[in-house]
Amino acid sequence: MELQFEQVAKNYKDKKVLKGISLAMETGVYGLLGPNGAGKTTMIRILADVLRPSKGRVLCNGRDIHAMGDEYRAKIGYLPQDVSFYGDFTGKDYLEYSAALKGMEKSMARKRIEELAYVVGLQNDLDRKCAAYSGGMQRRLGIAQALLDNPEILILDEPTSGLDPYERIKFRNIISAYAKDRLVLLSTHIVSDVEHIAAQIMMMEYGVIQYTLTNAEYIKKMDGCVWLVKMPAEQLVEYQNQAVISNVIAKEDHMEVRVIDESKPARKAVQAVPTLEDAYLYIFNYLPGKKRR
Amino acid sequence: MSLFYFELQKLLFNKKTSLLLLCLFALYSVIGFTSTIFLIGSNDSYRAYEEMAVAYEGSFDNEKAAEAEHIYNEVSARYGTDSRMIARSVKDQPEIILAVNYYAYAQQVEEYWNGTPPESAEEPCGIALLKSKLAELENQGKQDTFAYRKLSDALKCLIELGEPTFANILLWENLFNNWGEHMMQFLLFVPLTFIIAPVFAVERSSGMDNLILSSRYGRKKIVTAKLLSVLVASTVVVILYLVATFLFGFLPHGSLHGWNAAIQSIPTYARSMFHFKVWQLALVGAAWLIFTGAVYGLIVSFISSRMKSQMGTAGISLVLLFVNVGLAAMGDTVLQRIQPLVDFGLANVTLIKEVFGAHKLFDVFGVSISYPVMAVFVLTSIAALAIFGIYQGQRSRTVA
Repeated sequence: MELQFEQVAKNYKDKKVLKGISLAMETGVYGLLGPNGAGKTTMIRILADVLRPSKGRVLCNGRDIHAMGDEYRAKIGYLPQDVSFYGDFTGKDYLEYSAALKGMEKSMARKRIEELAYVVGLQNDLDRKCAAYSGGMQRRLGIAQALLDNPEILILDEPTSGLDPYERIKFRNIISAYAKDRLVLLSTHIVSDVEHIAAQIMMMEYGVIQYTLTNAEYIKKMDGCVWLVKMPAEQLVEYQNQAVISNVIAKEDHMEVRVIDESKPARKAVQAVPTLEDAYLYIFNYLPGKKRR
Repeated sequence: MSLFYFELQKLLFNKKTSLLLLCLFALYSVIGFTSTIFLIGSNDSYRAYEEMAVAYEGSFDNEKAAEAEHIYNEVSARYGTDSRMIARSVKDQPEIILAVNYYAYAQQVEEYWNGTPPESAEEPCGIALLKSKLAELENQGKQDTFAYRKLSDALKCLIELGEPTFANILLWENLFNNWGEHMMQFLLFVPLTFIIAPVFAVERSSGMDNLILSSRYGRKKIVTAKLLSVLVASTVVVILYLVATFLFGFLPHGSLHGWNAAIQSIPTYARSMFHFKVWQLALVGAAWLIFTGAVYGLIVSFISSRMKSQMGTAGISLVLLFVNVGLAAMGDTVLQRIQPLVDFGLANVTLIKEVFGAHKLFDVFGVSISYPVMAVFVLTSIAALAIFGIYQGQRSRTVA
């Protein structure tokens, strides 16, 4: 399975949302990280074939997905950013309707719905109206919908928004187990969603993919850029306007501040082990010539 | 479950729409019931009318006509010549109702033989008038013209039909009024608009487009399922109307008398050239309303497929309907200029009395085609265009 973006651009009137993206993805989990407004959802929508690019094309195993039509859509499972429902539908109705849209055979669909309801923890809630579901339950229902027909390509847009920490971990485990022999693209602005499961992580901003690296490569890139600085609480207020701070821990008589900086930010600063979150902050706030967020 | 089942559930078999359908059935029943009650006051009055009418049924009788004219003149002197006003004023006097109806029948017989006055702007009608018009055209050597063919066809039909006979079709006339007046368009098509408007627009407003458009069957099969559900929904609403007005139109007096009379016995259909019995017209009329309801449903679906909200869809659909009704209500001079638009506009084409109640022929490349056939052709073409547009639209539809 190979997906390729060839100079894909998307404009809304004068606004360039995607600026000629070219990339190739093969089997495995891909994380798409970026701040709000980076163009992640637009890219995801083009891949899900619900939006057409202004320029360029997306290829699936060398064939234009638009030309493939139904054949391509039969391969994908898509969880949009906002999961929507019909007021009268129960969770079961929603999944059965999704199965019908995917062309699944009835008995197969019923079996799969039972399995997935258990996997996402909705086995006791399927007969309730979707409208009465909590945000997390709606999200889990959306995830079940995307996984229904075991798609070869799984496209997830902000899949964990609204999930509690336990659900988030459970979701990551589901995706990890599922990703074998499949292609999963997971768009998020929550670093921990992709940190441990994505083989490749794409950092996207202003409609451009800035980097595509592994977690380890990002961490290596951050070597010597993450520092721990101790300072009194009064100093922190002023300091946070000048530095990129990834974390602050209140100690007994001082604050321990985790700072992203290419040079030693203070005389007594000590180097710390970098994480992907540090890399995220670094790339989107500290690149040369970049205006800090 | 099939997509069709779910689309039907979304459109029709849900709590909100079921409640609406229930209310509609109640409303239609009230309309059927009250229209009959206002036609002839009590059950006893109707029984008396039915008994008296037996003696009048059949061929034209000069004596009875003279007697009826005498009563009519007295009635019109008291209540005026407006037939609705007379009907309302004498609803408890069956003998007067019968006289008024027989007087109307006598005029119909007169028109059958002698036709509309020569100065009338209406289509020429009546054997003598048609013969004289044909002779006029023959003298001018216009036997090959469409006008000649049309008049000649009308004359042939009239002769075949024979002189009208009188029948007690009181309750059937009421039924056909309920099925064929402009009021029906409001009662039927306005609710239909609100039921069908969400069919495509709701996917956009709810955000379900994301799920649908990215799925295997989200571009073609879903459209087929939606269109089938629209056809079912429109048929259900029309049948609801037909059944309610039929049942509650006849129930108060418990009689189907006149079911086998010729439709020319009904004043509104006096100029019809169709050899239908009353029961046949009822079947054809019901089928026609189901057909036109389906076409209207498809037009609303097309609008829905282009709109982002169901209220917007309903608004445009209703404007379209009201413009059509408005056009049909224009004065004669305007009508003459936009006749084709009016003939095949929703206002006229959905009324069975317009389509089956007169003799209208159209000249299509030298071939004379009757109004119902042309109407079927035009409506089918509109439906086909709407369906094509919906499929095309869904193919290229995006969430942006």
